[in-house]
Amino acid sequence: MSAKLLVPAIFAGLLAGCSAFGTHPAGHDFIVTAAKPGQLFVVDPRKMKVVSDFAIPGAHDSVSTIVTSPDGTIAYVLVNRARSIAGINLRTGKQVFRANLSAPGERVQCMAFDVTPDGKTLIVYEYRTHLGIDSYTVETPQFALFSTAAGAYAMPERTFPAPRRIQAVLARKDGRSFYALWPDVYEFDLRTGQLLGKRGLLHWGRADHSSADLSINSPASEPTGVFVAPLYSTLTGSGLPTGGVSATSLMTLNLHTGKLAYHDISRTAPPIFATILSPNHRWAFGVFDALFKIDARHWRIVKQVPVPHSFYMVDISSNGKEVYLGGNMCDIAVYDTSSLRQRGDIRLPGCGDQALVTPRIIERR
Amino acid sequence: MARKVSSIMARGTLVVALAGGALGIGRGALAAQVPTGLAEIRTHCAECHREVSPGHFDRISEERKTPEGWAMTIFRMRQVHGVQLTPQAEAAIIQYLSDVQGLAPAEVRAGRYALERRPNVPDLKLPDNLNVMCGRCHSVARIVLQRRTPAEWLKLINFHVGEWPYLEYQDGSRDIAWWRIASKQLPAKLGRLFPLRSAAWRAWQHRPHASLAGQWIVHGETPGHGAYYGTALIRRTAADRYGAHYQLRYADGARFDGASDAIVYTGFQWRGTGTLGGQSVHEVYFASADGARIRGRWFLIKHAEIGGNWAAARATGRAEVMAVIPSALRAGTTQRVVVVGRALVGRVNLGPGTQTTVAAHKPYGLILKVSVAAQATPGYRTVRIGGVSTHDLLAVYQHVDRLQVQPAFAIARLGGGTLAAVDAQFQAIGYTEVAGANGKTTAVRLGAMPVTWSVVPFDAAAAQRGDARFAGTLGQDGLFVPSGGGPDPRREFSDNNTGDLFVVATHKSGRGSVVGKARLVVTVQRWINPPIY
Ligand code: HEC
Ligand code: HEC
Repeated sequence: MSAKLLVPAIFAGLLAGCSAFGTHPAGHDFIVTAAKPGQLFVVDPRKMKVVSDFAIPGAHDSVSTIVTSPDGTIAYVLVNRARSIAGINLRTGKQVFRANLSAPGERVQCMAFDVTPDGKTLIVYEYRTHLGIDSYTVETPQFALFSTAAGAYAMPERTFPAPRRIQAVLARKDGRSFYALWPDVYEFDLRTGQLLGKRGLLHWGRADHSSADLSINSPASEPTGVFVAPLYSTLTGSGLPTGGVSATSLMTLNLHTGKLAYHDISRTAPPIFATILSPNHRWAFGVFDALFKIDARHWRIVKQVPVPHSFYMVDISSNGKEVYLGGNMCDIAVYDTSSLRQRGDIRLPGCGDQALVTPRIIERR
Repeated sequence: MARKVSSIMARGTLVVALAGGALGIGRGALAAQVPTGLAEIRTHCAECHREVSPGHFDRISEERKTPEGWAMTIFRMRQVHGVQLTPQAEAAIIQYLSDVQGLAPAEVRAGRYALERRPNVPDLKLPDNLNVMCGRCHSVARIVLQRRTPAEWLKLINFHVGEWPYLEYQDGSRDIAWWRIASKQLPAKLGRLFPLRSAAWRAWQHRPHASLAGQWIVHGETPGHGAYYGTALIRRTAADRYGAHYQLRYADGARFDGASDAIVYTGFQWRGTGTLGGQSVHEVYFASADGARIRGRWFLIKHAEIGGNWAAARATGRAEVMAVIPSALRAGTTQRVVVVGRALVGRVNLGPGTQTTVAAHKPYGLILKVSVAAQATPGYRTVRIGGVSTHDLLAVYQHVDRLQVQPAFAIARLGGGTLAAVDAQFQAIGYTEVAGANGKTTAVRLGAMPVTWSVVPFDAAAAQRGDARFAGTLGQDGLFVPSGGGPDPRREFSDNNTGDLFVVATHKSGRGSVVGKARLVVTVQRWINPPIY
């Protein structure tokens, strides 16, 4: 982002901040993001300012998924080529939790994780490879459950086998089970690891649609507790060209109720990388080379504006007035949700790449 | 990474060739000793790869591959597993393994295009789902150029997922049960298609290596420059090592001399490094089983996409016509023609409508002066010299009816930083249509034609983006050189200088102009550039 955008951005930010304060006495939102080589940031969108800039120990130039504790005090960040999870206190910057997943002779990489609603357990989905002296052996993936109180040398409290290709782990809000996504929507009992249910996702069984394609880039579901992600498929049928047309749909998975639904939003839409639902469930916002506003009652794209560069992730403020675009490059772009006008752009100090980092929203009093 | 791997081979070639030459080591002197390569494996590899019986190491002895394949594996042993090797030790290991666990000529054939780094060659089609499963990140040539037991193929697949767990999540994998198919079905399938033990290898393995030393006749073609011809003198400097000197010329008389040092792996795979026409080149050539012919491709060290075909045959032997330069003569002209060949004596006759005098006898063949009658019938001519005759090497034409731009689809890549751009070299092959006896017309190939080159946008979107202006420049020799990489502030969204273009060749003759075109996609850098793509 150029310097010339920054000045009006800050000005606009102050105005936006005031209005947010007015409607939200309980506390206000902060954005948690990270960037290479291993920085963790807390950003105040009211002030359009980075308020904390912490170094994550042992990140080894690799940061990706961020999961924040429900009380907003700790960020768990996947670092070290997905081989370690660092829990960083967001006030002090101290590492309060560390799980180094790999061990000599065994390479373990976390492909997805989440924290339970009580903040006590991390559910970590692990790919594991035995590293022999002269050959590797791929092992069955597993879910490993860590106590968040385990400190600096956390070891799993229990593990159980898992399917391959899981893209996201999403804790259910009742704290009793969790969902694991792709190629099916699996539900596992948190305590026993027992498979409670399985619904088709790749093979979603929708007439006229090909199988679905999904690449989950962001597991964020705040503030609604409804996870939303774009799905792609080919639509065939009478009146459509042979070979069909590509269709974009959104899946919603309600983490309170378990309700899974698909909504077709467009044919031949440009790609969307990540989506988020507004607090009142009225709109969804999607991002990639453009910012999309989607009517979440009639499920169609109602507005689309170009963005300064590709963004991979989108979050929404708890009052629903702003969306924050992040991931890729080193800025967070702030957009007004009603007009889709850009309100500002917050540059991260050091300008490290956010790459596939998943910024999250926390609320602070 | 790429540069490092290829320079290992290049460096090894030079160092070892010189050392071997200076010490005068011959095969006989080493015969009773442990081969250097084997000794080096014991020193550097056996710590992890157990020597289960003399000369048989876990993993290492359970696969066969090309020298490039071995170099890539050893590169990984250094990068990932911390093996430390001198260039000499590495070269010795590559040579030893290529000899005792190489591929037979028939086993190399299908994947040769990849070793020769031929640009814009479509990848091979393997049976069933193999291209989908395995051809996404690298060419399937990488697979076709290896032989393993099913258990070894399985270990390779385990290594893939252990090293790149995201493999299963990528587009092309996540919609299939990649791991189940790869671990349950592919090992047996690959083991059947590309088995460790084969009749071809059994027959080749213990064959004595033919010496390639001697006098050779050479001809070839450099797209963008045309045909060249001349002689080569190859000397043996040590076992399986050679030094070569080339005296070559292009058809227009320009000198194209060179020299190289080469290792011949597995008795037939010539890998040389040297110069040609003043440029640094690698040579990837293959000798015939009897050591009487060498064919392949040379290419620039920094730009593997730029290079030429190479064909050599022994200077002595049965009479033979190898090439006629130029390969097509327009009616109503008189010109100098080179017939490249061996033992060419006796009367010269280039067929109906031609008149020929022999201007000179050369070590590489004959120089002729040929007049073609204005009314000569178009078509191929049989070239007769003394007792030998060949077809299809020479054509006569009245006009060019059709141009075919080769390659029909090309990819060029932007450069940037330390990465060299990938250029694209085009040539326009002319054809003339002649009426056959059955009333059908057949196309007679005339070879590369002089044309003027231009680019136009591939479609409206490309036109709107200004691709033709930004993506690079096409020279009048048919060489497209892409622009610099990275965001270009002059473009919308500061786009990269990528582009989607038609490359257009126009040949003008008395009858008007003939046009041919090809598609050119200019895309982003390729970050890795290993010896086998
Ligand atoms: C420090 C231990 C170590 C040393 C020393 C070592 N390797 Fe390896 N090698 C491995 C491991 C681990 C693997 C399996 C993972 C892989 O393929 O990279 C392997 C795999 C291989 C394979 C199978 C690769 C494939 O494509 O499936 C070959 C062949 C090999 N090594 C050759 C060598 C050679 C030759 C040397 C000596 C120059 C060497 N290794 C030295 C650890 C070692
Ligand atoms: C995710 C991309 C990807 C896919 C899919 C893939 N490969 Fe590879 N493969 C690689 C890379 C990268 C290397 C280079 C490894 C190295 O560093 O030496 C490689 C190396 C190889 C090699 C050379 C290894 C050696 O040391 O000799 C072979 C053979 C190979 N792959 C076969 C396969 C087969 C068979 C499949 C399908 C089952 C496959 N690949 C699928 C990425 C891939």
